[in-house]
Amino acid sequence: MLGGAAHTALVAASATVLSQSSVANTAPGRVVTDETGRRVAIPADVKRVVTLAPNLTETIYALGLEGRLAGDTDYCDTPSAAKLKPHVGGAQNPSLEAIVALHPDLVLATTSINRIATVDALAKVGIAVYTTDPQTVRGMVESTARIADAMGASAQGAELVARLQARLDALAARLANVPPVHVLFVVWENPLITIGQNTFIADALRWAGAESVIVSKQKWPDITFEEVARLQPDYIVFASNHAGIEKDELSALRSRADWKQLRAVELGHVAVMSEEVNRPSPGLVDAIEQLAREVHPDAFRDTEKKESHRSTETRRQENRNVKVQNRDSVRVAAIEKIDTRAGLRSAPIAGLGARRGAAL
Amino acid sequence: MPRNAQTHSRPFHTDPRPRLKVEQVSYAYSATDRSAPKFILGPVTFEAQQRELIAILGPNASGKSTLLKLLAGVTKPLSGRVEVDGAEVGGLDLRTRAQKIALVQQESELLFPLRVWEYVLQGRYPYGRRLRFESDEDCLMAGNALAQVGAYALRDRWMEQLSGGEKQRVILARALSQQPALLLLDEPTQHLDIGGKVELLRRLRKLADENRYTVVVVTHELNLAAEFSDRIVLLQKGKPLRIGTPAQVYQRDLLEEVFEAPLEVELKVTGRPRVILRGSH
Amino acid sequence: MKPLTPRRILGVCGLLLAVLFVVVVISLRMGSYPISTSEIVMTLFRGVAGQREQISSEFWLVVFGLRLPRIALGILVGAALSTAGAGFQALLRNPLADPYVLGVSSGAALGAIVSLVIAPHVPGLIQLAAFAGSAATITAVYFLGRRGGQLDSPTLLLAGIVSASFLSAIIMFLMTTLSGRDLRGMAFWLMGDLSSPAAIDLRWLYFILLVVLGSIYTTSSDLNLILTGEQEARHLGVNVKRVKLVVYIGASLLTGLAVSVSGAIGYVGLLVPHVMRMMFGTDYRLLIPASALGGAIAIVIADTLARTVVAPTELPVGAMTALAGAPVFIYLMRRKVR
Repeated sequence: MLGGAAHTALVAASATVLSQSSVANTAPGRVVTDETGRRVAIPADVKRVVTLAPNLTETIYALGLEGRLAGDTDYCDTPSAAKLKPHVGGAQNPSLEAIVALHPDLVLATTSINRIATVDALAKVGIAVYTTDPQTVRGMVESTARIADAMGASAQGAELVARLQARLDALAARLANVPPVHVLFVVWENPLITIGQNTFIADALRWAGAESVIVSKQKWPDITFEEVARLQPDYIVFASNHAGIEKDELSALRSRADWKQLRAVELGHVAVMSEEVNRPSPGLVDAIEQLAREVHPDAFRDTEKKESHRSTETRRQENRNVKVQNRDSVRVAAIEKIDTRAGLRSAPIAGLGARRGAAL
Repeated sequence: MPRNAQTHSRPFHTDPRPRLKVEQVSYAYSATDRSAPKFILGPVTFEAQQRELIAILGPNASGKSTLLKLLAGVTKPLSGRVEVDGAEVGGLDLRTRAQKIALVQQESELLFPLRVWEYVLQGRYPYGRRLRFESDEDCLMAGNALAQVGAYALRDRWMEQLSGGEKQRVILARALSQQPALLLLDEPTQHLDIGGKVELLRRLRKLADENRYTVVVVTHELNLAAEFSDRIVLLQKGKPLRIGTPAQVYQRDLLEEVFEAPLEVELKVTGRPRVILRGSH
Repeated sequence: MKPLTPRRILGVCGLLLAVLFVVVVISLRMGSYPISTSEIVMTLFRGVAGQREQISSEFWLVVFGLRLPRIALGILVGAALSTAGAGFQALLRNPLADPYVLGVSSGAALGAIVSLVIAPHVPGLIQLAAFAGSAATITAVYFLGRRGGQLDSPTLLLAGIVSASFLSAIIMFLMTTLSGRDLRGMAFWLMGDLSSPAAIDLRWLYFILLVVLGSIYTTSSDLNLILTGEQEARHLGVNVKRVKLVVYIGASLLTGLAVSVSGAIGYVGLLVPHVMRMMFGTDYRLLIPASALGGAIAIVIADTLARTVVAPTELPVGAMTALAGAPVFIYLMRRKVR
């Protein structure tokens, strides 16, 4: 049913389509294995990098390599300078063409946000994609080093890693003999979703000397409020981008009949972490320290209040310009989970809805 | 295929061979495999020639439709044979059988709009390859079929726009475009008014007389059957009680017993019987 | 009284091919990468003529590496889904039938999820697993949908709907209880998305498409008759049992194929056959090729919009077909009522 000429053209075109094409620069590079086990051929000279996730963008800036950042996603907003970089679309559905148009030597992706389909597609057209897979806070620190290596900036990497490591070690030392605080980390209020044991956030919490009261193997377990009431966590922790939200959250919780029964709410033990907590990026360490100070005030009594106040102020100033959109990575994950379920309801049985009324 | 070549060549003399031969045909089915047969039909034996119109009569559940299906070859008899033009119906492949026998039953609902001529043209399916395009001859035959039922003028109309009677004619036309030797109809007058019933039977009579079809009709219409058929097969609970001309079959005692109703039989001037309710003069 | 002729079929197909060609050309022109029409044309010609070295490697990449494969995939999926839809509408004697009503897409989704959980990083596994899932569903529904030794339309429809619900329930269960991390990809998959390259060489997929399409096409005369009544068709000499089997397997395979590579793109399989019927009549000898080409056109248009409307973000193509599909559906329903 295809006309003869069209058919020939299509065959010829498809033959060319299927041969591998590559935009990698011709400088001989090396082959590394990324954190998902994929072998990646990286050119020797990495001058242009495109990141596909906000935490990767942040890492690049923390490494001081933003000069090589050719493009990022629409949602890369930390630091704010990242918003001015050319965008390639969403983290889950970027435009391949936009990526190609930026002539990247290397693309950075992460398993926590990007889709394997995107990575496959990029690899298929010969673009080097390095995927990170940070599972723990230490893992994040190591990823940072590897990213720096991949970009040929091992020195900056080592330096940043050393600083981060030092801060983490110092924190661990400070909290060594302090029993962990039991917290409920709220990902989403309705339905009530919290974090599982093996999540990145749980690990971050542990570094801050906090332990989730909910033990679950799932990533984002649904829990009932009764369970929370029974367990009576010491602190309720939220993650948010919005400065000054602590007071809002607390008063909101206090006004709700069920939440105000909790001892934590009564005592005003509601902590808000920076949304960095779900971003495997250097800013995470700030968030951990911030939470640690809040839930273990005694352990920090000897540090100068002025210093901690200053860093909080700087962050508050940055955040003031950030709109509270639903770009909370944590909330994104929750939304995805809910969307996926809703999508399930609508898609495979999309046909059903129409069919219920048909002649049966 | 011989059939194709024969389109204009029905023999002028009446073929001495019977068009339809039903020999000791019997059938049975039971509710489950192991229980005793719930219903037994037959054995039935009769023959029919060209130009004959046979009516199968009987009360409900007497096996009329089953007998028709046996004649059509849709069901295989338990014993006996059904032959059309000398060939056993059960042994024919689907397409050859469709070229010899046309069966008209209650029609299914049409899902998508269809034109009358498209519908009738489908009757030509048994002639030619499976995936085929209709030839001029096919169109000619379909047109003839429409003309034979007086529906040629309807050919460009949509099927769903037709009245009951018109639709009946078109369905008949499709059967005719199969160029069958044997035309079988299962209660074709069910949904028609009295005018429609008479018209249909008249048409079938004409088709038999002029176009030399052999027609077998299952019907409830005692008087129409008596008026228009050559012979009648009277069934009761699967048994062929009598097979003969209307005058022979319509005996008062017999009819009363079979139909369990107070009936009276009159003989008309034409020699054909008429059935009426007793006590109504 | 004008019966369908091969000439008319070729004429309509030629027309649709021309439209498809125009749509493809326009689609080639659109995208985030700045490349002019003349550059595209040059790249195409040089590519077909085998002069690859003379083109910038990036032009090559964009035209032959990104846009054309995606368009080719879209054509494949559109043709497969529309033909399957037309086939199911005849097989099930139901104008509301679409390719997913018999549960094929749910089975594929289950296969996809299982593969994402077990081995999320193996490239292309999700597509193969999805196809395996759909094949298993096709088999199961076949056995459930039989009555008296052959496929019975109402029974088949019921069997399919029940299977789809059951599989969806399992999928929901898995998604809420498993801690698999890459399940976010499922959301895109469920909506239908052409951005993932096919796991198998496109040429093979096209080959399979044409073979299956051809087999279904051989039953098109039979389908015309079956649509006026199964009993009547049988009495006219149609081997109804065989035809139903061929159409069932063929249409299900086409659906499984399409869904494996692109997820469950909705509305195309349902609506394209109806639109083609309105334009060209209900004769399946014309409807099948017309639906295939019509579906290809629809998907290429939808996908082009999906990747350009809010560029550089790409929408899943299923979102566009749903957006356009619902109004078209309503319009068709109202026409029928009239």
